[in-house]
Amino acid sequence: MSDEKKVEAPKPAAPPPPGPPPPKNPGFVTLVIDGKEVVAKPGTNMIEAAKSVGSEIPYYCYHPRLSIAANCRMCMVESSAAPPGKLVPACQTGITEGAVIKTNTDKVRAQQKMVMEFLLLNHPVDCSICDQAGECKLQDYYMKYDFKASRLEGGKILKNKRKKLNDLIVIDQERCVMCTRCVRFMDEVAKAPQLGVFGRGSHEVVDVSPAYGKLESEYSGNIVDICPVGALLNTDFRFRARAWFLSATPSLCTGCSKGCNIYADFMGQDVYRYRPRENDAINKSWMSDTGRLMYKTINKHRVLRSLSGRGDAAKEISHPEAIKAATELLKAHAGKVAFMASPVASNEDLLAAFAFARDALKLTTVYVSGRPDGIADDFLRTADKNPNRKGLENIARAFGLTVKPFPELANAIGKSVKALFAVGAEVPEDEAVFAKRAAELSAFVMTATNESKVTAAADVVLATSTHIEDEGSFTQEAGITQRFRRAFPPKGDSLPNWKWAIELSTSLGLELKAAASSREVFKALSPSVPELAAFEWDKQAPINQKRPGITSLPTGADGRPPGWREQGVPNIRGLSLPRGT
Amino acid sequence: MAAAGDEYDPTPSDDELEAHLQTRNMVVNLGPSHPATHGTVRLRIELDGENIVKMDTEVGFLHRGFQKSCENVTWTQVLPYTDRLDYVAALHNNFGYLTAVESLMGVDIPERAKYIRVIGAELHRISSHLTTAGALSLELGGFGAFLFAIEARELITDRITELTGARLTTSYGRIGGLNRDVPDGWNEKVLKTLLKVEELAGEVDTLLSRNRIFTDRTKGTGVITKEAALDFGFTGPCLRACGVNYDVRKANPYWVYDKLDFEVAIGHNGDNFDRYYMRVIEIRESIKMIRQAIAQMPQGPVMVDDWRIALPPKENVYNSIEGVISHFKLVMEGVPVPAGEVYSATESANGELGWYLKSDGSGRPYKVHVRAPGYQILAGLAHMCEGKMLADLIPTFDTINMIGGEVEQ
Repeated sequence: MSDEKKVEAPKPAAPPPPGPPPPKNPGFVTLVIDGKEVVAKPGTNMIEAAKSVGSEIPYYCYHPRLSIAANCRMCMVESSAAPPGKLVPACQTGITEGAVIKTNTDKVRAQQKMVMEFLLLNHPVDCSICDQAGECKLQDYYMKYDFKASRLEGGKILKNKRKKLNDLIVIDQERCVMCTRCVRFMDEVAKAPQLGVFGRGSHEVVDVSPAYGKLESEYSGNIVDICPVGALLNTDFRFRARAWFLSATPSLCTGCSKGCNIYADFMGQDVYRYRPRENDAINKSWMSDTGRLMYKTINKHRVLRSLSGRGDAAKEISHPEAIKAATELLKAHAGKVAFMASPVASNEDLLAAFAFARDALKLTTVYVSGRPDGIADDFLRTADKNPNRKGLENIARAFGLTVKPFPELANAIGKSVKALFAVGAEVPEDEAVFAKRAAELSAFVMTATNESKVTAAADVVLATSTHIEDEGSFTQEAGITQRFRRAFPPKGDSLPNWKWAIELSTSLGLELKAAASSREVFKALSPSVPELAAFEWDKQAPINQKRPGITSLPTGADGRPPGWREQGVPNIRGLSLPRGT
Repeated sequence: MAAAGDEYDPTPSDDELEAHLQTRNMVVNLGPSHPATHGTVRLRIELDGENIVKMDTEVGFLHRGFQKSCENVTWTQVLPYTDRLDYVAALHNNFGYLTAVESLMGVDIPERAKYIRVIGAELHRISSHLTTAGALSLELGGFGAFLFAIEARELITDRITELTGARLTTSYGRIGGLNRDVPDGWNEKVLKTLLKVEELAGEVDTLLSRNRIFTDRTKGTGVITKEAALDFGFTGPCLRACGVNYDVRKANPYWVYDKLDFEVAIGHNGDNFDRYYMRVIEIRESIKMIRQAIAQMPQGPVMVDDWRIALPPKENVYNSIEGVISHFKLVMEGVPVPAGEVYSATESANGELGWYLKSDGSGRPYKVHVRAPGYQILAGLAHMCEGKMLADLIPTFDTINMIGGEVEQ
């Protein structure tokens, strides 16, 4: 028997192993995820590829705009291209031709369950006092992938619960899941590699490198947004509102001329925070800390009723009285009124205001006020701290108005300029200095959103709403016009600038060709502005979508202002109608 | 213009003593608030003398936006709204709704919970039928039977109160089972109660079923044919009184009805007496069922063990992150019901109580529609009464057992 084996002819050499199969779709990678064929560009992240066919792969550490760390182990999937019996992290594994990926097998589920159990092992019982509750990935994933009781016996590891990283950011190290998104963000995006991971194993913490002592970056607020749990907290927002009571409106930051896209989270008629909204062309997923705090101007020191009289003599007046007082002053100085406009106002405001200046006041010159220049950097912040200077210039040019800089006006006040109409109270010089100059004016009428020394110097202050209280658009520094949506009706008795312009025109005996809404103002007046003529006002409006996660009731119970349904856009189950349709 | 019949007809009659009354059709309102219509419904009746020429049934006085309200609360928070449908037998609505949600989720509840649901539902069926029979007797002038019926109903209400904590608005049960088990010694108390109920229901039966006045008023009045009843969408005792053998508990058994031995009462004539008698028999059958259920009921949990559906024990909520997350998400976001739609029906005291539910995958219903049995039956009331005597309207209205809460939602 053994002989027979020996004489057996040697086997022919095995054929060479087959090479990789030719791509099914040249130029693309074709693979199968959960039984569905996916055709993706080479280099596409597996998580994104799975998302495109409706397979959700959970993750903590992956962020599309950061490098891949693959340390949370939540995104492990089964792949035919992996070594047998091994799971691969979806965020890190490249997609390969012909691979078969399974995201929902028993093995994957067991892995997800184990990861969740470990993450919650030392997590404090904090939901009831945690700002992240309601928008927390630990909560979402626990209900989806774990939903089992704790098996922990004994106590949890204690760490620092309130370590100040800087004046804006606090870290609760117990809540941290060590995804290192913040570390990577500071390193790769903010270019300030000051955060690091210290310690080993269960005793790991995220902290500022001792060499820095304190987090110093203008972009530190973003680490709060990207933190998937409640470890990083913004002291400005901390303990102020439960996330599910807030409604979100897509809007724009008014902190500088960059035009960062944001969500304004509001409750009632107060804005609680700005969060960056994704826009590849402008701000990616980020915004600056200065911009983040711009919401405060909407809440505080607002001119809620129109005022008449200067300084201490100022008294609140009704809307008809305000129109009457302003008209009388403008009539008394007819032909001698100078016009100043702030580039904080929206395109719609300025369209109506400049039409008012040109047609009702018969002017050919406007002066530009606005906030003084500030610090610029190479990322998002620009020196011009006004959101709509470009828009102002475009509209003035189209309307045949000469734009003159502020100093020319400032020097002429009291000399050639005796009467002034101002759109907006922002001035690029010290407010006290300007107030002193304005004292020499015999008539000073202005629209203003916020009280200041400038408004105290005016004869008539017309209470004006901010951009968050109306629909409209800004043109940012690169000439991109962007729409913002209305969150809530104007506060107090305030009206948008365009409305004041139209009403004053009417009062001065001129019927402006625009009427009921900022949309109609835009439709009526923008065609003559070449930069705005092609702007699709309705289509460009970001969708007023439902906030992800837990949402409040679509009724008054969430603290929305009275009259919301009549005045605003009801947003029920993510459905809302664009205004004017 | 004077209407026909307005003019005095001077033609002399054969009988010189006949009174030539000027008759014209008269329109009267019965309800919306009337002692003989126990429920806020308005019956606009056109009468020719004592005969009903035409009848319009107008509902909506108890409309409270039930279906729309449900869309604004979590799946669990719908439960108290369901109490207010058929408020005479609230457990039918509670359990019917929960069963519909559970079938949409594909959840199988523990065996013990199924038995307790059967016992609760049958207790409330007895309670509802006693009310119907008692009120029928009362409104036909027989006060005694009403007192016996209500005495028995009080005993049942006491047992329901012990079980759920409320006499009327029970809000008992949760998605995935029950919020609490039966109290200690409750089963024995129920068995003793049933003896008393049996005796009192027997008194009602004795007082009414062979009573000449009662049978004269109910037999052959308010008749509806099998075909017409089916066309109107009758279900429950009112349909079975016409001779149609349809009972959801038999046709499509849910909970543990397939393990219980009971008969479905079928009538012949579709008149008021048959509708009344269906209830008398069903009370006996329900008592039989409860005795079997108590005997068969196993020990064990009454709620599914899944923290995506059931609230974790308080101890875990206060002391573990897993418990607090689950509690928070279930309370704030609601039980996640997978996207889809379902029609699910149970046999309530008045017939097929159907729930059409639609979920968009969130914690709140996308759409809730209730097929309340009373609505279709009330729609047939005019058909049963037109051309008949006004006096027969009252027993007919009683035997269809309209409940304002479920008809008008």
